[in-house]
Amino acid sequence: MGNRTLTFKIFRYNPQKPEVKPYMQEYKLEEVSGMTIFVALNKIREELDPSLMFDFVCRAAICGSCAMVINGRPTLACKTLTKDLPAKISLLPLPVFKLVGDLAVDTGTWFRDMAIKTEAWVHTTKEFDPTALEERMDNKTAQEIYEPDRCVECGCCVAGCATANIRADFLGAAGINRVARFMLDPRDERSPEEYYEVVGAEEGAFGCMGLMACDDNCPMEIPLQTQLSFVRRKMLAQGLKLKTEKVAL
Amino acid sequence: MLSQRILTKNPKADAYLDAIEMATGICLVSFLWAHMLFVSTIILGPEVFNGLSEFFDIYLLSYIGVPAIAIIGLIHFVVAGRRIPTNIRDQKIIWQHAKQLRHTDTWTWIFQAITGMAILVLAALHIWAISTGWPIRAESAAERMQAFWWFYLILLALGEYHASIGLYRVFVKWGWFPRKPIFFVLKVVTVIIVALGLGAMWVFLQLGGAA
Amino acid sequence: MSAYKTYVTDVLIVGAGLAGERTAVEAAENGLDSIILSLVPPRRSHSTAAQGGMQASLGNCAMGEGDNPDIHFQDTVKGSDWGCEQDVARLFTETVPIAVRQMSHWGVPWNRVVAGKKTLPDGRELEEKKEKEGLITARDFGGTAFWRTCYTSDGTGHTLQYAMDSLVLKHGCTVHDRIEAISLIHDGEKCIGVVARSLRNGELIVYVAKSTVIATGGYGRLYGASTNAVINEGSGMFIAQDTGIVPLGNMEAVQFHPTGIVPVWILVTEGARGDGGYLLDKNHHRFMPDYEPKKKELASRDVVSRRMTQHIRAGYGVESEHGPHLWLDIRHLGKEHIYTNLREIANICKNFAGIDPANELIPVRPTQHYSMGGVRTNADGHAYGLKGLFAVGESACWDLHGFNRLGGNSLAETIVSGMVVGKKVSEYTLGASLEYSEQTIKDEVTKQENRIKDLISGKNGNENVYKIRGEMEQTLMNYVGIFRKGEDLQTAVDKLQELHQRAQKVGLQSSGEGANPELASALRIRGMVRLALCISYGALQRTESRGSHAREDYPKRDDENWLKRTLAYWPEGAELPQLDYEPVTITELPPGDRGYGEHAG
Repeated sequence: MGNRTLTFKIFRYNPQKPEVKPYMQEYKLEEVSGMTIFVALNKIREELDPSLMFDFVCRAAICGSCAMVINGRPTLACKTLTKDLPAKISLLPLPVFKLVGDLAVDTGTWFRDMAIKTEAWVHTTKEFDPTALEERMDNKTAQEIYEPDRCVECGCCVAGCATANIRADFLGAAGINRVARFMLDPRDERSPEEYYEVVGAEEGAFGCMGLMACDDNCPMEIPLQTQLSFVRRKMLAQGLKLKTEKVAL
Repeated sequence: MLSQRILTKNPKADAYLDAIEMATGICLVSFLWAHMLFVSTIILGPEVFNGLSEFFDIYLLSYIGVPAIAIIGLIHFVVAGRRIPTNIRDQKIIWQHAKQLRHTDTWTWIFQAITGMAILVLAALHIWAISTGWPIRAESAAERMQAFWWFYLILLALGEYHASIGLYRVFVKWGWFPRKPIFFVLKVVTVIIVALGLGAMWVFLQLGGAA
Repeated sequence: MSAYKTYVTDVLIVGAGLAGERTAVEAAENGLDSIILSLVPPRRSHSTAAQGGMQASLGNCAMGEGDNPDIHFQDTVKGSDWGCEQDVARLFTETVPIAVRQMSHWGVPWNRVVAGKKTLPDGRELEEKKEKEGLITARDFGGTAFWRTCYTSDGTGHTLQYAMDSLVLKHGCTVHDRIEAISLIHDGEKCIGVVARSLRNGELIVYVAKSTVIATGGYGRLYGASTNAVINEGSGMFIAQDTGIVPLGNMEAVQFHPTGIVPVWILVTEGARGDGGYLLDKNHHRFMPDYEPKKKELASRDVVSRRMTQHIRAGYGVESEHGPHLWLDIRHLGKEHIYTNLREIANICKNFAGIDPANELIPVRPTQHYSMGGVRTNADGHAYGLKGLFAVGESACWDLHGFNRLGGNSLAETIVSGMVVGKKVSEYTLGASLEYSEQTIKDEVTKQENRIKDLISGKNGNENVYKIRGEMEQTLMNYVGIFRKGEDLQTAVDKLQELHQRAQKVGLQSSGEGANPELASALRIRGMVRLALCISYGALQRTESRGSHAREDYPKRDDENWLKRTLAYWPEGAELPQLDYEPVTITELPPGDRGYGEHAG
């Protein structure tokens, strides 16, 4: 350990220059103790190839910026230690999301669209009263809301999801989990019918095929199976209750 | 939104399809397991097996049951099959995705689609075989087994695999149990059912050999 | 000059962290149109990394009983070592309880009071009252008289940012992410907007607005070891300073957080000590009570960081290949508490250090954490020198924190300043008109285009941007740290002046085409070195010790000569910042003893 030479095979493509086809570029680095993919990529950029594009922000597995496909699996690069990997490391950008260049993908736009589609904010008719005490809430409820709210929108669940890979309109585990967060929140006054409008379809809760790559690849270890099935059960109950009116032509 | 989309919008449809997929799946698994238990009564002797078979005939259960299961099976095929990508590009994406991800549950789903289609064909043949040789008795079954043991070996393996993984996925999707323990339980059940099936086949082969 | 895209809006906000987004929400609620520019998607902002909490004197929990804004005010002023603006601190402490409740209304799942008896790790017993059950609770943080830090487990910044961003979505505010403002457009009196570079394709874009708000956060990444996100390079500060007329306030006031994990420098929240964690030396001796018998591990951050450094210097540090460090011990808090309330810490320790904090000690050393200084504004958040330019949050020197910020006051500041300044921005904008000369914009765009051309062609030289950056980081680490000395500071200033020269001779190694990351770094480096010079030169001139600014050659606070704020200007072509000073506003609490740390001189 410590003196392995690591070989990185990194996906290169710049959508600005479509005439250069995508290719894998190799870089060699000496491994140092405690090396993460964050450390390695910065070293490559600073010493070998200053044009290499990738995203890091917090480098502490809090912000969700640096998800990429490392040796086949989507995960956060900042918390991936090279010592846990073989000497040959392949790095690909996350699938599903629009490519910015090399390893950088545009998760921001995807998540923003998802949040707008699901109206991911607290829907309330109450006005905020600055002179009043806060509304009370059970601490247990607060913690239950926090559980799905911990999602950092890194996109690993979406990248690992077979459905999301073939259906552009699928909300993905992150989207359904986001809806679960508001369903659990007593401050959100949306009715089951209103939630049904948002996720009661193949693009939402019913599109999930239960492959659980989301649950297995979530870097925040959010119990996505629990959140997804919670929404699915609620939506089925609501769907069976619905009455549809036919439009006469 | 496009006008034809607005006019054809049926918000219930997706919920119902999902519910039907689950309900028919559970029916078929229950049927398969019950079927295997009944078949394996041959281990207790041809008398028990024939008695049970006659009992089903007397109360006309077989005459209702076989077509009913065939229809449920067809519905399940159509409904569950809606998830299988039909264009080449999506097919390629799925295979590439699975190969890259090296994720058990993703592979089992691909096998689920493949076994599902295989079962459709094999089960149809099996139904055709039993209905042309009606009624089902130990002797006729033994003859079939003698001639087509390899066919039944394949059907047993595929059917049980598809049933167990399917049931596992139902539990996963609806979240009634945590998935790791349920996977283990289903593995145990599968081993029992396959053992019973193999046992029954062995007895049939002995019977057929004796005949 | 080539063609460029132009966007026109009412309020332009540079930075989509909590302060920026709160300002946008305030503007939206006043019926104004806004565009938020951000280097990264808003939910990736460094605000999300704030784990510990937000101070507000709600007084709901048992250990917060009797708390009120007056006491919060006193703690803040003492914490600042009397360097803050007391009118701002007063406004802040009165507003922050409303801010916390409003964030609750908007969806933050604050932890709540659970009634019943509890035993604290140190054996103290307390009882949470039934009538307070379900109200927002608080935890203990350094430098506070009561338990006052409201939290959601240890993802407070995360939940606040997500709730705030949901409001931004709800209001339909425009966000342009992966856009970096590279210079302000102004006519010497008024700020007109910014020239920005797209980090998606490298194109230059002009944003024109009635008011421009800088909300770009701190400059932590000037230091080699910082808890800050990699995007915290102080860009908002140096583009303001580049105008030559907007000063930066108190740049020498740099906070070191006591507990950065060695050697990855990721923060372990103050909540770890607030919840009862201890600091141990190489003999596993809990040394803080020896220095600070009253507040122990929970004296203010500058004091704890200094005591730790002092203890290491006395030979009690644990030797390691990354230099000496101390231990943070939270094992006695128990698995359940660690894996729920301090889960992020457990994850960080596991992921980055391979440690299970429920069973093992965490190696820590004080690490650069926060910049008290920034774009100097008045109490309305209006920047000095230019009309229509505002600053909020860490990038501003509103001056709530003076020479040391209390833990939990930064999240609180982002939101309160967003509220308060947002309102003032709205008032200003509603009364402002969009008048500017096209030429001013053209000139600025041409200037930036030429800068980029020169960097790509290597016209001015071929200095390597990463080398200069590395040397700057090391210079600050070695000579402008927790304890400072005149000679060290002089060394730093000399070295940084050399780097400032070299920073103007940078040439790219790569092509610089499109969203090239090397070009982005090269565009920042001169500004970053200037900030480093402001810090070092300001520190060299300030011959006293105050808050986080600790001079070994001037160990006492000197209210007679130094009860004043440094203002650093950078006139065009200068080699050093031009320093000016202004008095500190003292309205209520005259300078006195802090009650912890070295006694006032």
